[in-house]
Formats: sequence, C-alpha cells, structure tokens
Amino acid sequence: MPGLPIDNRIRRLRFEHGEMTQQQLAERIGVTRQTVNAIELGKYSPSLEVAFRIAAVFGVPLEQVFQYRHSD
Amino acid sequence: MSFREKSAWISLVCLLLPTVAFTVGQHFHPHDAQGHDLVNPLHLVLAILGGFLLLQAVLHLIVVLRAPRDARTPKDERERLIELRAARVGFYALVIGEFVAMALFHAHGRAFTLMNTVLLAILVAWLLKLGSEVALYRRGG
Repeated sequence: MPGLPIDNRIRRLRFEHGEMTQQQLAERIGVTRQTVNAIELGKYSPSLEVAFRIAAVFGVPLEQVFQYRHSD
Repeated sequence: MSFREKSAWISLVCLLLPTVAFTVGQHFHPHDAQGHDLVNPLHLVLAILGGFLLLQAVLHLIVVLRAPRDARTPKDERERLIELRAARVGFYALVIGEFVAMALFHAHGRAFTLMNTVLLAILVAWLLKLGSEVALYRRGG
C-alpha cells in the first residue's frame, strides 16, 4: 500500500463477514464511508479508538486487522 | 464524495467568484469621462456579498436535499483532521497577508490600500484553506 507503513485486512474481513459493505462498517464504527475507504486503501491511519472499534466489529484482535510494515 | 467534501467544493467555487469580481472590480471599474465611478463601490461589495451568500445557501440546500442522511452525519476524525490542517494553511496565509498589508501601508500610507490588502489577504487565506481541504479530501486524508 502506498505511503503509510501500515497494512490492513479490512477488505478481506468485510468479505468474510457476509460481504459487509463499507457503509455498514462505517455506521457501526461511527465514521463516514469515505473514511473507511481511505483506511482500506492505506491513505489514512485511523486513531487507536477507531482501530479497536473495527477489530471489535469483526471480533478479532487488533493485529489481525492492522499490521505494521517494518522497514528493516 | 462526502457531504463535507461537496461543501468544501461549493464554498471554494462560491468564494472564487467574488474574489475574481473584487480583483477585476479594483482594476476595471467603469467610470465616466470625468473619472467618477459609475457603480458605487459600496453597492458593488454588497451585491457581491449578497450573491455569494445566496449562491452558497442554494447550492448547500440542493446537496442536503439530494442526500439528507449524509448531511446529518456528524464529522468524523478524518474530517476534523482535514479541517484542522486546512485551517493551519489558511492561518499562515492570513498572517503573511497581514504583514504585506502593513508593509504596503508603511510604504504608501494610504488607508484605502491597507483596507484592500487586508480584505484580499482574508479572501486569499480563505481560498487557500478551502483549496487545502479539497486537496486533502481528494488525497484521502
């Protein structure tokens, strides 16, 4: 993913949870659909609170949603 | 496109129009053979301001009516961050503009120049703020 050193599996997790739409996820975590899209594309790093909310929606630990890409 | 991005676009376009009108009006205002203004500058400013407010209100109303749920959604963290970053750009532009206005007043000593430069600095700062908002929304955050 471009720019930010954080990868995420949100798209995959949405697919695995009944093909949840970005809008549905956005409503459950309290952000706009455009923000979910920006997070998925790696254009925006969410706050810790939103990151935990996303993980809670999918019922997985945070590190299964976001992974830090080590440069070394 | 989210409601706030649309709103930033509308405000940017609506503000560009009076800025252009103001700038053009300063240089090409119509006057008679004796050099008197044919249009009262105060009336021109009021007309531009009224047109700006009306256009803003009408365009925002259209956007709200087309997607009322989107418009009711409160700002999220990314939108707040974009607004703060854009406000910072606008703030620095305003500070520079005010220094330019003071320097011009110091050099020429004309209150009219000072007033116009301050007004232009406010417009440019606001345009840069809105332009930054649009650019940040386009970039993703």
